[in-house]
Amino acid sequence: MTPEPKPLLTPEAVAAAQTSITKLTHELRRVILGKEDMIDEVVAALLARGHVLLEGLPGLGKTELVKALSRLLSLEFRRIQFTPDLLPTDITGSHILQERDGRKEFTFHPGPVFTNLLLADEINRASPKTQAALLEAMQERRVTTFGETRTLPDPFFVLATQNPIELEGTYPLPEAQLDRFMVKVEIVGVEQSVLEQILVTRVHGEAPPLEPVLNLADVQQLFSAVDAVHLPRAVANYISRVVAASHPKAAGAPEAVRSFVRYGSSPRGAIAIGAIARGLALLRGKPNVGFDEVRRVAGPALAHRLVLDYAAKLEGWDGRRVIGAILEGVPEVERGLPQTLEAVK
Amino acid sequence: MTDLPASVRPTLRRLARRVAAGLFLEIWPRWAIGSFLLAGTAALVCRIFFSSAAPFLPWLWLAPALSIVPVIILCIRRAYRPIEIAALADSLSGGQGTLLTVLETNDPAWASTAALESLKQLPMPRLKLWSRVAPILASAVFLITALLLPQRMISGPRTTILANDIVADLKTTIEELKKQDLLTPEEEKTFEEEIERIRKDALDRVDASSWEAADAMREKVSASLSQKEDALNWAQENLARFAAAAQAGTPPSANDARELADAIKNLAQTGMLDDAPADLQKLLGSAEALAGGNFKLPSDPKALRKLSQQLAQHLDGRATRFGEIRRAGRDRGRFDPSEFGEFNFEEGPDGDGDPGAGGINRGRGDADLTWGDESLPFDRFKSVSLPPGAVRSPDDWAPVAALPGAPKEAAERTFSSTGVQFSGTAGQSAWRRTLAPRHYSAVKRYFENAESR
Repeated sequence: MTPEPKPLLTPEAVAAAQTSITKLTHELRRVILGKEDMIDEVVAALLARGHVLLEGLPGLGKTELVKALSRLLSLEFRRIQFTPDLLPTDITGSHILQERDGRKEFTFHPGPVFTNLLLADEINRASPKTQAALLEAMQERRVTTFGETRTLPDPFFVLATQNPIELEGTYPLPEAQLDRFMVKVEIVGVEQSVLEQILVTRVHGEAPPLEPVLNLADVQQLFSAVDAVHLPRAVANYISRVVAASHPKAAGAPEAVRSFVRYGSSPRGAIAIGAIARGLALLRGKPNVGFDEVRRVAGPALAHRLVLDYAAKLEGWDGRRVIGAILEGVPEVERGLPQTLEAVK
Repeated sequence: MTDLPASVRPTLRRLARRVAAGLFLEIWPRWAIGSFLLAGTAALVCRIFFSSAAPFLPWLWLAPALSIVPVIILCIRRAYRPIEIAALADSLSGGQGTLLTVLETNDPAWASTAALESLKQLPMPRLKLWSRVAPILASAVFLITALLLPQRMISGPRTTILANDIVADLKTTIEELKKQDLLTPEEEKTFEEEIERIRKDALDRVDASSWEAADAMREKVSASLSQKEDALNWAQENLARFAAAAQAGTPPSANDARELADAIKNLAQTGMLDDAPADLQKLLGSAEALAGGNFKLPSDPKALRKLSQQLAQHLDGRATRFGEIRRAGRDRGRFDPSEFGEFNFEEGPDGDGDPGAGGINRGRGDADLTWGDESLPFDRFKSVSLPPGAVRSPDDWAPVAALPGAPKEAAERTFSSTGVQFSGTAGQSAWRRTLAPRHYSAVKRYFENAESR
């Protein structure tokens, strides 16, 4: 049974939402120079209430981006520097024996996870046990200790960073953990002109001072607007076909998937694409998701969910490249143009 | 699509038409190519093997034309739905999704957005016409080429016609003879087999021997008829003599009776009595006895007279039939190679040529034979065993005299069951000769005479 379609956002509502988002992105672009696409991806993921994994070499602004976000959003912000000796309770919190009114009792001391915006810096340096402590928090947005379940504040975002080099003494995130991140944003180096601008504007490398542009209510309003962004059936069909094609045994899987992918994306990947595409559409001032948004977010949303074969590493294929091959192989419209017709670019 | 803004509708209609054309061109070429190739193959086969189908070959052009019918049906069944056209339009215009959204939500607030306005300038997808039409042209060229090929007039079809022509009159004759009851079942079977053999030989190769075989066959049939006619005449002559004797009141002589009995036996053996009336059959006795030559004339004069009368009556009827057959076959000529110049029978690849011109001519195989009254019809051909025309073996000779200049060799005489053997020394088998006993005296006599000479 098809649910009753929600009323489409009015042009005014979309414009208002876009203005709010533009304020945020504008400020972020002041802090992180030359990373417009990355900023859009992160903001779209946040609008979709998703967790973000930032991967890049040191010094590319991962932590700076998260810190800037926390300042701009007026949200409670915590940072955990993941180290090998970090314990799960260091994240979730623990019960401490305290004396109160002459009585000794266990009192729960919330961990840093009880916040709106959590920066999990260098998440791959913590032990798998500690990494797993984040699983429930990220997915269920609650923490259970000593049999007691505590709900995390709303909104709750985890922005984790990891370094793709210096892998000695690190613990790569397991697939289940990776799947919890809505997007994995790969941060690459900046162009020479951007570097020049950084040198000119940042004497000691410090970020410009930032003032909050959105408060909690604004953020909640944006979430509502994102939820109202329309996803046409044809676009939803496209998303489902893209995700289905990521499985090597699927009928429409491209050659690259059949050769290099061991396991494709979970349905959570399709949900993630839809959600981020909604956020991106609102960011672009649209009341609906289009094929273009899906193409844009498919890489960040799906690449980290693919389990690649060893052959992929040997041949130099990574998740993004495989997703690129899928997008090339899967037509936007299920029943595309007849073979006798050629689209004019 | 009616809920869409009016500004978008013409674009979508144009796209729908273009997509329909593209769909047609996607389906039609396979059918067209298939029909062209099928028609071309059919034309080719007909050109090579079935010359009789040549007048109908131009109709093969209908095949590609008719193939459009199933294509149209398929196009209608696979036609794009309006929502699919809208999705294509949206995708082609950059994948904004606005058109789809407006179509699904019917929200007028977004009907005049820039995204929808940009659909007016939607570039229509280009038809890849040449890549689809080129194979059709190639297959059409195949059909044209097949139709333009000259009809193959090979020995196959012409030979068939000729072979049928050669045996046609033979078949007619046999049919006529069957109608007239002038053939025994055995003869009929033999003749039909012979005619079929001639036809099959002619199918393999038509040459002079085909017509000559037909002529020979015709003469064989004629000979068979003549034999029957002779038997009939002989019997009629005897019956006439018998009747004349009866009229004169003199009893038939024993010689006449024996000759009549022989004539009746001959009639039976040639099948002339097979269709005799029942009364006559009764008088003649059993067919086995007649065929086995155990026939005897009835001794009762009354029965004998009755037999002669009925037999004469039966033979008169048969004689009439013979006359008709003779008249019908009178105009039939014999094979004359000069009438078949195109076949070049006289100068075949085997070097046959005119006699005296250095070539070898085997002459006509069906040289005229004389059929007359020189001998009795049943004694006409008596098999005569001829002596073997070749020596028993090349070694079947022995030196009987040493001529001047011959190598000196002391011949040793040995005797064997086949004759006297003269041999040289061991290992000189070339000198071994054997003289057949029946020649021995003749050779001895020759040399005795030579010595005396």
